[in-house]
Amino acid sequence: MSVKNVENVARDEALRPGLDDRLAQPSPARRPPDVLVRTGTRALGPVLLLLVWTAGSATGLIPHDVLAPPGEVLSTAQRLLSSGDLQQHLLISLRRAVLGLALGVAAGVGLALLAGLSRVGESLIDANMQMLRSMPILALVPLAIIWFGIGEEIKVVLVALGVTFPMYLNTHAAIRGVDRKYVDLAATVGLGRLALIRRVVLPGSLPGFFTGLRFAVAIAWLVLVVSEQINASSGIGFLMTQARSLSQTDVIVVGLIVYALLGLTSDTIVRFFERRALSWRSTLTSH
Amino acid sequence: MAVHADLPLTDPATSPSPPSPPPSPSAPPDPRGRRRWGRAAAAPAVDRDHVVDAAGVSRSFDGRGVLHDIDLQIRRGEFVALLGRSGSGKSTLLRILARLDRDFEGSLQAPERPSVVFQDSRLLPWARVLENVNLGVEDRAARERGEQALADVGLAGHAGAWPKTLSGGEAQRVALARALAREPELLLLDEPFGALDALTRIKMHRLLRSLCAKHTPAVLLVTHDVDEALLLADRILVLTESRISFDLQVPLPELGRRQADDFPALRTRLLTELGVEDDDH
Repeated sequence: MSVKNVENVARDEALRPGLDDRLAQPSPARRPPDVLVRTGTRALGPVLLLLVWTAGSATGLIPHDVLAPPGEVLSTAQRLLSSGDLQQHLLISLRRAVLGLALGVAAGVGLALLAGLSRVGESLIDANMQMLRSMPILALVPLAIIWFGIGEEIKVVLVALGVTFPMYLNTHAAIRGVDRKYVDLAATVGLGRLALIRRVVLPGSLPGFFTGLRFAVAIAWLVLVVSEQINASSGIGFLMTQARSLSQTDVIVVGLIVYALLGLTSDTIVRFFERRALSWRSTLTSH
Repeated sequence: MAVHADLPLTDPATSPSPPSPPPSPSAPPDPRGRRRWGRAAAAPAVDRDHVVDAAGVSRSFDGRGVLHDIDLQIRRGEFVALLGRSGSGKSTLLRILARLDRDFEGSLQAPERPSVVFQDSRLLPWARVLENVNLGVEDRAARERGEQALADVGLAGHAGAWPKTLSGGEAQRVALARALAREPELLLLDEPFGALDALTRIKMHRLLRSLCAKHTPAVLLVTHDVDEALLLADRILVLTESRISFDLQVPLPELGRRQADDFPALRTRLLTELGVEDDDH
């Protein structure tokens, strides 16, 4: 009797709630034609802006020393690319950003773990971090120059500092926010402290970690832009500062576009990893 | 093998015992006539018959008494339902037995690690179904038991699925598999079907009965559903105003309980005990 009953329950699919059905039906807003129309409408604004820029430059309404025309920006970009200058400075900027990001993420997550998992760590670290977070990171520049000079270190250190705070705040909040009921469950199945951290606390705080990472990446570029324009002899920021003294608005615009592309690309990369690591949150990825 | 808490045993002479059959050294007949071979060997030397032996258990929160002087004994393989209105302290008692709450007075002898099924399935959303069933289980033979348990609840095909893709009933079946794969001596169920719809609940009752027949754990089912208690339990306790006010050996056949002549009368009796008028009769 028992075996039969078990099978009956197993085969009964009619009792499943409508969640799957609802998800299987495409909602009206997501049908392909609408997507095309919406993308087209959204592209209209930027296209118009580009037209206004072109027209303004051509008619002389936008003087050359205020903003170079689009065509000239394009040819300058080609020139900088073929000479290899752009790539050289880009690599230097990238290296600073990646190094600072890595250091900052490690520091932020490390501190968040210490503060989130132990009472002593909480009282030693959290109050300090909550106090320091209210300070704009760029206000540290004068002090940082005295401490680190104007070489490579200061750029990496400033980026790392800027990254540490969003990483710490988001990861720490996520660790603290892991549902108490899962800790109860872990106790009933006999998970030890390390297993609790590995199986429950860390995966449970991963969403917060990624939220922090996306903030961190944006802040890394922001801090880098500023620190490269204050005192540098290389990097995209230096390229732009140098262009400013020669009133080369075309080079400045190329620098802006490169920064925008860097920001966009890095955010896309983080989102890709976020989607993969948090695939359990989506109901459509498995089954 | 049972791991028992290092807590003092009460003197049987001074502790009032509930009206259950007296413990006997030989294996007693199972209330459901189930064979429980191979279990006696694993029984602790202290008490062969009782998986749970609580005496004088009291618990208060900030001076407010929630449980008062509870005596509770659960026999090996016995299915006990604990009825009570909301806030009667039944979940507190379950948490004490589950070793999730150790701030109580009195003595408790119970397995150190009973299996618990909560009202929510409490599956880790970031672990796949089979990983949830085997959470905390490391050795390979035990992990194979997890696969078997998943098959027993009819979800072998969902081993690799994420919990979020399951329906409420499926998730609760996984929680049952997680509890039973550990072959617990004591299974604690905290209103496990409370969040399910009526049809799914009927299926779950049937499944739980067949699983208990297979694994023969002692069961404490906390519920406020009188019908559920009458359909499943060998014995029903009612918790009123922080004391056990009623202890009933269910005199119903193993199967077809709802059709039994005594069912309506027992139902009315229990509802009265819970302070509810039964309008149907």
